[in-house]
Amino acid sequence: MTLRPTTFRPETTWYLGLSTSGHDPALAIADETGRIRFAEATERFVQDKRAWGIAPDHVNHLEHALKVCGADPERDRFVVATSWKSVKAALDISVHDAMLPATDTLWIRGLQAGLQAGAGTNLLRLGVEDARRETLHFDHHLCHAATAAYFAPVDDAVNLVLDGEGEVGAASLFSMSGRRLTRKWRSWGPGSLGTFYAWLTFHCGFDWRLGEEWKVMGLAAYGTVLPDLMNELTGLLSADRGRLKFTDDRTIAAIDALTRAHARAPGAPVMDGADLAATGQAAYAALADLVISAVREDGVPDLLLSGGCALNSSYNGTIAGRLGFERLHVPPCPADDGNAIGAALLAFMQDRDEEAVPQSPDASPFLGTTPERALERKMMFAANGLVVANVAGRSADVVAGRLSQGRVIGVMRGAAEFGPRALGHRSILADPTYPGIKDRINAEIKGREPYRPLAPVVPEAEVGDWFERPQPSPYMSVTLPWRNAVRDLVPSVVHADGTGRLQTVSPETQPWMSGLLEALRRTSGAPVALNTSLNVMGKPIAHSVEDALAILATTGLDGVLCEDFLVEKPVVD
Amino acid sequence: MTENATRNDVAAFLTRRLAEITKRDPSAITGSSVFVEMGLQSIDAVLLCGEVEDTFGIELDPASIFEHDTLDSFLKHIDERIAAQ
Repeated sequence: MTLRPTTFRPETTWYLGLSTSGHDPALAIADETGRIRFAEATERFVQDKRAWGIAPDHVNHLEHALKVCGADPERDRFVVATSWKSVKAALDISVHDAMLPATDTLWIRGLQAGLQAGAGTNLLRLGVEDARRETLHFDHHLCHAATAAYFAPVDDAVNLVLDGEGEVGAASLFSMSGRRLTRKWRSWGPGSLGTFYAWLTFHCGFDWRLGEEWKVMGLAAYGTVLPDLMNELTGLLSADRGRLKFTDDRTIAAIDALTRAHARAPGAPVMDGADLAATGQAAYAALADLVISAVREDGVPDLLLSGGCALNSSYNGTIAGRLGFERLHVPPCPADDGNAIGAALLAFMQDRDEEAVPQSPDASPFLGTTPERALERKMMFAANGLVVANVAGRSADVVAGRLSQGRVIGVMRGAAEFGPRALGHRSILADPTYPGIKDRINAEIKGREPYRPLAPVVPEAEVGDWFERPQPSPYMSVTLPWRNAVRDLVPSVVHADGTGRLQTVSPETQPWMSGLLEALRRTSGAPVALNTSLNVMGKPIAHSVEDALAILATTGLDGVLCEDFLVEKPVVD
Repeated sequence: MTENATRNDVAAFLTRRLAEITKRDPSAITGSSVFVEMGLQSIDAVLLCGEVEDTFGIELDPASIFEHDTLDSFLKHIDERIAAQ
């Protein structure tokens, strides 16, 4: 008898990308073909919004991620990659404090230093020997640019990064040719559109540390742009051939003082900040225009945009067809969480001597955790007082039927989205033809301000029937004006300024959601669903089945679809 | 362009810009001039690095201008970066 090794397989190398900014940590794992096999923000796993200072290779989260990928810590090799090259706290540069308090900047730099130093250490806890582990560090903006390239449907593009702060500044321009990235320039110094928006958020009475830039963007629709103030705000920054610079500290102080006259105190009525929000958003757009119009390349119609500023969907919706670009592509994860993917890809490229950034085979944003298999048993125990049905094979039709009765249903299906938007796998859904349903969701389910908009899903093939400036928006990256004729049909997803931050779906990429839209078309006449993230205000998107059921139990949500099981509250007459 | 020409170009560029930023006569700036003693602020040093990158098409390490406190030392570092590309 001969002995045969039962588990023989060649050693595999895995590329573990870690977002080490200090805020929004995340991990991503690429395989030996450069495909991202798993990616998830730490905040989902620990259920703590933004997960400040928490290790992106959080040991239990990492263990889960390796298991999902089929990695073997006992024999495989791991190349760890961080999303920063330098440790900011180690640089002897006095902190620019004219826009934001120095303490916040120093705090984040302290967190970044810790995460840079500890990156990948938790592999040791899982049985990876030190000799099978190495760590690489990559330029922060290059990580953003690589992430954008991975999801982009083109091989040649202008690849622009705009954020709060990078290695040396807050803007970098790359040229992508045949998926090879070359840096054209980067701006040095504190001049930053991200910092500008954080400052604006503060003066509107919100807190950028809580990620409340969204609230400013939503509030802007209710305000009027004040021309004199607009003129002042655009004076804060200049863009010399795209490179951003703040004006001098004395002028900043003068503009800051003027802005305070329009500012809203944190406890004051929200609408007190509407004119400043509108004016600030308009100033942001004017400044971003200066950068983008400086980066066009002859014969290159596609712009890739990433960095935290690429979450400004209101502005994003205005780019295509202007400023020298025909199309805009924003990845599903343009902010610092997404850099975990870029770092993993750059590690793959360096380790295997590849020059081109790999392209995602399906551009899928669904790279996170799948609900666990013990679902059925949990549902049985959870069912006390609730109605549980196995709706396998017909869940889209069943959920659409409930929505058309005015019910609001959460869904937790398949792998979670990577990035801040819920795209139908961790979503709360409703029928937007009901006029009162937006207020109900804001007040009774999400627990947030009544003015805040809710977003639509529409079929990609019909986007022109519903929106002006029609374009694909698979990751909910752009806000567009609804066509006048359809606004009254779907009142709960039309914002105060007549716009919607849309997600487009096609039967090929999103069969379940496409089926739901078809079912809604049959009942309401409109193939449009209201889609908002499955969370309550201040909490990250639901991660486990328990999280989803807790939201059901503690809010006005009518039911939750967890994979094939629909758990509902009884109908109260 | 020879390496010497490049080095002379960078030296001339830095001397001119340092003179403008610190408001002094270019002839007063020598290879052993110490940046801090010239009154160069850290924000200006950072922006100057960006100008060097743009003008000469190289990538500088953000720490470099703080690790090299004289013009000669910084120039030597830039030479190494150019040679490494």
